[in-house]
Order: sequence, then structure tokens, then C-alpha cells
Amino acid sequence: MAGVASTGPAPEGGGALGSLDRLVWRVEQAFALTAAYCILALMLIAVVQIVGRTLFNRPIFGYIDMVEIAMTTFAFLAISYAERLGSHIRMEIVVGRFKGRALWLAEIVGVLAAMFVISVLTYYGWEHAMRAYTNGDSTIDAEYSWWPSKMLVPISFALLWLRLLVSLIGYLRLFKTPTAEPVGIFVPESPEAAAEREAREALGEGAGGRPEERR
Amino acid sequence: MSLSNETIGILGVIGLLVLVVIGVRVYIASALVGLIGLIAILGWQAGAGIVGTIPHSKSIQYTLSVLPMFILIGYLAFYAGLTQALFDAARKWLGWLPGGLAVATIFATAGFAAVSGASTATAAVFSRVAIPEMLRAGYAKHLAAGAVAAGGTLAALIPPSALMVIYAIIVETSVGQLLLAGFIPGAISAISYAAIVVVWSIINPKIGQPIRGYTWGQRFAALPGTFPVVVVIAIIFSAMYLGWATPTEAGALGAFVVFVIALAKGMRGAPLKAALLETAKLTVVIFSLIWGVLIFVRFLGFAGLPEKFTEFIVGLPLPPIAIMIMILIAYFILGMFMDAIGMMLLTLPVVYPAVMALGYDPIWFGIIVVKMCEVCLVTPPIGLNCFVVASVRPDIPLTSVFRGAGPFVIADFITLAIFLAFPEVITWLPKQIMAN
Repeated sequence: MAGVASTGPAPEGGGALGSLDRLVWRVEQAFALTAAYCILALMLIAVVQIVGRTLFNRPIFGYIDMVEIAMTTFAFLAISYAERLGSHIRMEIVVGRFKGRALWLAEIVGVLAAMFVISVLTYYGWEHAMRAYTNGDSTIDAEYSWWPSKMLVPISFALLWLRLLVSLIGYLRLFKTPTAEPVGIFVPESPEAAAEREAREALGEGAGGRPEERR
Repeated sequence: MSLSNETIGILGVIGLLVLVVIGVRVYIASALVGLIGLIAILGWQAGAGIVGTIPHSKSIQYTLSVLPMFILIGYLAFYAGLTQALFDAARKWLGWLPGGLAVATIFATAGFAAVSGASTATAAVFSRVAIPEMLRAGYAKHLAAGAVAAGGTLAALIPPSALMVIYAIIVETSVGQLLLAGFIPGAISAISYAAIVVVWSIINPKIGQPIRGYTWGQRFAALPGTFPVVVVIAIIFSAMYLGWATPTEAGALGAFVVFVIALAKGMRGAPLKAALLETAKLTVVIFSLIWGVLIFVRFLGFAGLPEKFTEFIVGLPLPPIAIMIMILIAYFILGMFMDAIGMMLLTLPVVYPAVMALGYDPIWFGIIVVKMCEVCLVTPPIGLNCFVVASVRPDIPLTSVFRGAGPFVIADFITLAIFLAFPEVITWLPKQIMAN
């Protein structure tokens, strides 16, 4: 995963928290990559569907069911990956100006809020999936089972919860000693810095590392 | 609970604003407020039970699967060399105008907008491609930077546009009609920007000299490079118009075309994986916002707030046009501080029903809102497109980017006034399709 680490965790150091951060990050990368390849697959299947339907009058049976079932991959799997990279949208204008303890306190409040919501969503998402499993819910046309699709939701949320826990420890540590090196957290940026990162990403340099590193 | 549902609803809105301002992620803040609010109204079991089903049930709607396709097209377009090709062709065809390179930049961004749904990405890419050429030709820095920042905003208006899909999802209107409706307003915006550049360069010829001397042979030789853009436009437009494919399928076919060209241009391995990962990241960010905000919307519905707001708005002793202008001013102010997607998601659930009650068209209002969000990308203090330009070109100060974007904002206000005075400009094309 060369290059991606440039915006993720540091490759080494940070003690036990650093190791935990990297462990979760490895799972997050695998999940995100799965989502990425599912998007590629969606593109290819749609092209096959168009060609099959218009040229040979043979559409893929249960195509829409298939897409809807598969949508949970790219709708949820990368949620924790995006959290680690600080990509989920928020208003930086106030918090971006905070420094030291005030900043870490605001972050702790945010993470605790997130952990509460995600705990509830994981539990009830799991119940929702188990209900589908016991009832044998399936799609209308092709009768595909719903439960694996629904199960991806609590699984993704559970990983996000773990990620939030790592961040919480990271922020608490910094709240205690604001001079310490940040570990296991995404350091917030000013709007200007965020724009710079977006610019790099749009030019293909963000996730792919510097251009000369890309082969 | 002794509080009335409406009081809980108003407390929820205030709570959400506080959470968002202190930097809680928008999807978490809205899901949290929605969850607590629903529990307050319905009790723990029913409230949390409803919330638990929303992320899955709201995410697996087939129409939403168009989002990753549109995002993917945008990320691949740069690798397919479309930026350079478009700018090259526009320069050769339009360079002779006063401020010719800046006019070329506007039309090249408009062309790129037809394969890209993201404004900031468009601004970033053209900062790299167009600004160096303009500065080399002796163009004023603020004109060069302003043209790129403003040109980038066309991406959200001209389909494919992620912002429009999000609008369509929130207000439950037709994605296809909305995307089609964007073509003409997008073209009008591009022409108004070009007109601003020409007038500006006639008044002050020093800021942008015409570029002459291209032969017709050179002009026609520059066209084949832009062909993929034409193909993508043709695919998306004809699929919507003739109905031979769903938006997702059209988006997928468009992405496939750009994908094949990127492969042909030698895109392999790491950049391909990076583009796919960026697509997955932006996709999950948008989906999280959708279900998060829909939890909040469900709570608002139980609290009865949208109806109350609608009653209040309709009861105002003002003509609808005055109320509409007030709403637009509110968006303008909000947009100075908020991101476009967040702003739409947070305001539309309450504002949209009221606007409909005033008798406005859903498609028309969608285009107006998207246009408004785009104006906010180039106005201080938080104008993301201007930040992007300044960060790609550290030699151009942010103040001079904002200064350069100023005249384009004036063009935007004129364009918005046209849309307000003549709604048919927006609604004509989708109506034609409906009649078809």
C-alpha cells in the first residue's frame, strides 16, 4: 500500500497505540479496497447489462436486485477508512482555529458523540440483519437473500467503533499532555490546508503518493 | 416527556447547529440529534429501532448507485488527458477574443464539467493546466486565477453532477430530469462568464491579450482529443432523453469510456488503485451524509417541524418572489461558512416543502439551489474553489484569487435574476423530455 500511508498512520512508532492504529488501518484499507473494486465491478456489470439488453435482447436476470444488494459494499465498507483520513465532512471554521487542550476537548466531545451513535446503530443494525436471516428475507425478482448485504452494515460500523476508540485514546492522551506527538488520530486542518489536500488528491497525488513514487 | 413535539424539534435543530459548529462530523451530528429526538418522542425501543434500519434501507436504493459512477468519471478524466486536450482545443478556437486564454479556460472547464461532477477537483486540475499558460502570455494573475475558480463551479451545474443527485434524493424528485435541466443553465453560466472576461479585457486590455495565429488546420487537429467528452455527453444526454439506459447505466458506460482511454494512455497499477480508492472514499462520505441526515429528517417529520415552517412561510404577508429572494440571501450567507453538501442536506428538509407550497417547481428550485451553492464556492471568507487555486499556485495570494473571482459573482447574480424572471429557461428541457 505504498503512498496511501502518506495520509494514514505513521509507518512506525507511537508505542502500543501506534501499533493498534496500524492494525485497524490495515483492516480499513482492505475494506476500502473491497469497496473500490466493487465500484469497478458495478461499472463493468452495467456495461455488460447495456450491451446484453440492447444488442442481444438478453438483460442480466435480477440485475437491479444484484446492484441493490451490492450497494452496501461501497455505501459502508470504507466508512472507517474515511474516518481515519478525516474525510467525513465537517465545519472546520471554528474547530480549525482551536489550539491545544481546547482543540482536544472538542475532538473528545465529537468522538464520544460518534461512539454513542455508532454503538446504537451497530446493535440495531445487527438485529435488522439477524431478522432478515431468520425470516429468510429475499429480493422480489431474483430472490437473493438480503442478510449478507444487511450484515455488512453492523460489521462496517463495528470497525468504525474500533477506529473511534483508537481516536478517543489518542485525544485523551493529548488532552493530558498537549505537548506529546499526536498518535492514532487525524490532525484537523485549516480550510486552506484542507483545500490544498483536495487539490493534491484531484491531481492524483494524495492517495497515490508523490508522482515520482507512482509507477 | 412534558415537552411538545415541536419544542423537541426546535431544540433538535439548535442542538444540531451547535454540534456542527464545534466540528462534529455532519453525518454523526445529524444522526445523533435524530436518534435522541426520536427516542424523546417515541421512546427507546421504537425510536432506536427505527433509526437502526435507516442506514441500510436508505442506502440500497438503486438510483443512488449512480453516485460512484459519476465520481469515478471525474477521477479518471484527469488520467485520460482530457483536461489538457480541452484547454488546447479551446485556446486554438477562442484565443483570438479579448482575454482569449481566459475565455478558453471557461469553455474548457465547461467541457470538463461534462465529465466531472466535482467543482473543487475541476478548479485544481485547471489551476495546473491553464494558469501557467495564461501567466506566460502575460495575463494578470487575478484574472487567470478568477477564471479557473469560477470555471470550476460549472461542474456542479453541468451533468454529471453529484450535488444534483443529492438534491434529487433529499427532495425525492427525478434524478434524470434534474440532470437534464442543468444543461441550459450550465451553458448560460459559461457564456456569462466568457462575456465577463471579454468585457473586462476590453475595458482593461493589459490584463489579457488575444492570442492569434492558429491556422484552421491546427484548430481542427485539436478536436479529436476532446472526442471522449463528446461521447460521454452523448451517452448521458441520450440515455436520459431517449430512456435507453438508467442514470446508473449511463454513468457506468461513461466511466467505462473514460476508463478505457485512461488505460490506453498508460494508466496502470498505483494511479488506477488510487483513483478507485479516492472514488470509494468520496462515495462512502456522501452515503454517510445521506443516511445520517435522513435520520434527522425522520425525526423532524415526527416533530412536525416542516409543516409548521411551511405554514409560517405561506402565511407571511409577502409575495412568493420576495420570500424566494429572502431564502436565496439566507443561502448566500450560510454558504459563506458551510460546505455545499452539508448546507443542502441540513436546510432542504425544512425549506423545500415551504418552497413547494409557494408554488415553485421542484426541478427549477434544484437548479437554483445548486447554482447558489456554487456561488458560495468563490465568495470569501470560505470559498473552497479559491482556496484550491491558491494552494495549487502558492505564488498567487488568496486575496487576489477572490478579487479575480469577484466579477464572475456579479455574472452569477445576473444569471440567477434571469432564472428567477424566466423559469422556463430551466424547466423547458425537462418538460420536453416528459412530453417525449
